[in-house]
Amino acid sequence: MTDLLLQADAKTPVARSARGGIRWRGMLPYVFIVPPVLYLAVFMFYPLGRQIWLSFTRTRLMNPNRSEFTGLSNYERLFADPEFYMALQVTVVYSALAVILGVTVGMIAALALNRPFPGRAIVRAVLLFGWACPNVAASLVWLWIFNERSGVLNTIVTGLGLDRIAWLTTTEMALPSILLVTVWQVAPFVMLVMLAALQSVPEEVKEAARIDNADSLSVFRAVTLPHVMPTLQLVSLLVAVWSIRRFDIIYLLTGGGPIGSTSTLIVKLRQIAFENYDLGLASAYGVIGLILALTVAVIHALFNRRRQKRSQQ
Amino acid sequence: MTYLSRTLHALLILFLVVFGGFPIYWMAVTALSTNAELYNTGQVWWPQIGNLPMLLADLADVPLVRWLANTAIVAVGTTLLSLTLGALAGYALSRFRFHGKGVIGFLLFMTQVVPEALILVPLYAMFISLGLMNSLGGLILANVGFSLPVAAFIIKGAIDAVPYEIEEAATIDNCPRFGVLTLIILPIIAPSLAAAAVIAFFAGWNEYLFAATFLMDNTHWPASVGLASFIGQYETPLSAVMGAALIFSLPAVLFFLIIQRKIVAGITSGAVKG
Repeated sequence: MTDLLLQADAKTPVARSARGGIRWRGMLPYVFIVPPVLYLAVFMFYPLGRQIWLSFTRTRLMNPNRSEFTGLSNYERLFADPEFYMALQVTVVYSALAVILGVTVGMIAALALNRPFPGRAIVRAVLLFGWACPNVAASLVWLWIFNERSGVLNTIVTGLGLDRIAWLTTTEMALPSILLVTVWQVAPFVMLVMLAALQSVPEEVKEAARIDNADSLSVFRAVTLPHVMPTLQLVSLLVAVWSIRRFDIIYLLTGGGPIGSTSTLIVKLRQIAFENYDLGLASAYGVIGLILALTVAVIHALFNRRRQKRSQQ
Repeated sequence: MTYLSRTLHALLILFLVVFGGFPIYWMAVTALSTNAELYNTGQVWWPQIGNLPMLLADLADVPLVRWLANTAIVAVGTTLLSLTLGALAGYALSRFRFHGKGVIGFLLFMTQVVPEALILVPLYAMFISLGLMNSLGGLILANVGFSLPVAAFIIKGAIDAVPYEIEEAATIDNCPRFGVLTLIILPIIAPSLAAAAVIAFFAGWNEYLFAATFLMDNTHWPASVGLASFIGQYETPLSAVMGAALIFSLPAVLFFLIIQRKIVAGITSGAVKG
């Protein structure tokens, strides 16, 4: 049946457009698009919708398919809970610093690699390790590096004559330590993307600026930076969304502690669901996390649209 | 370049290389150290190849082969399903205009914003009802939700670059549309397909949260869950833990380095075209 349908389409008149594909009269496009869309509906959007629904119910992990509608009561509990504000604050601070530090280090690395030097290909490969290393393996080695008694960081610290630092077990140091690992993972990606953008800056324009006796900093500010700005915005927003989503390394390095100092909304969601069995409240945490990620995505979309409009003019 | 700026540049590169490469280097160094060195006499700063037989003997006590076999099953399944569905979606989004196309593109983009943890609980409830708990198949189904859209964006981008005339010639010869996709388009975009495959493969290879939640029975554990089980457990020597972590990481690192540019193109195009 489908085969007949597909063959008949060879004779269907088509209107071709310069952009966006061919307009089809028949069912053909849907034969292609329905299976993947159906898949996502079942394994992505149904669970997502159900998660949002659960946040309005009382549901226990022991019996996750039986829920009792309770309206906004989970959100009332959420907004009355100091731990929620703590988690929200940790998420925002963590994500903001991940963007600022990750993008800065990645951009500096990209600029450093944007000029030829011997061994550049090898350096570039080594700088990508953090991005390519699986989260669990990264967590294991960083746990060892941060180890209070025998880890290499404290070997260096005591070698300098200072006291050992409890990298992951004090409220002051845990978040900065996690940020260090985050930058190690995120900066290489920023570097890769920015390197591609930097290499597309027209050399003639930079040359012309140099002939006009502009120093390299002003060439960077007047020529390079505006050219790569859209890409910089894009990676910043990607890093922000990833930071809001991030679970593995935070959970494995600190489990959200000590005293919730590294508990983002997402880490909290997993904890409340699988340790307190309170799926309703956990879902409310998740919904706030989703709203945060969506806000970032919408900001991204707005930037994107403005840029496209500008480039069409 | 002046002498000063060249020196500063070299120092900056040195700093970046140490920061970026040290943890992987340290994994290798730790794997090749003895327990006494790690905890008492102080760690040696370079890999001691002489300790390799000891490392291999310790690794023999870790069910690493079974973990990696489970990981490979999950990764291969995630790849095959993501590419099949991603190719269908990518072809439709590239070649056709139809009602709902904009919405579908937006929904594909949306999946990249959704935190894994957010659909964890509903999937857990669903898998209990469907009997998919504790099965690698269920894990694959969960993973594909996230890697399918990335594959679709990469494949769409690749098909956009293939001139339509090639297909027209084939359709005039009465080749069914599905044949056009599998026999003509897919071979042309093989390099992009390979990139999408690597991304999906390592999404499955590295995945931890779903695996840790859905697989209770440790005979089903993939390496990510197995390795994470070493945290807070001190029976296995640290050198063996690091050796296992290194073996688990190497394929991912190698393949990511090989197709780095394609990956970036895939991730950013997904974000731009949403």
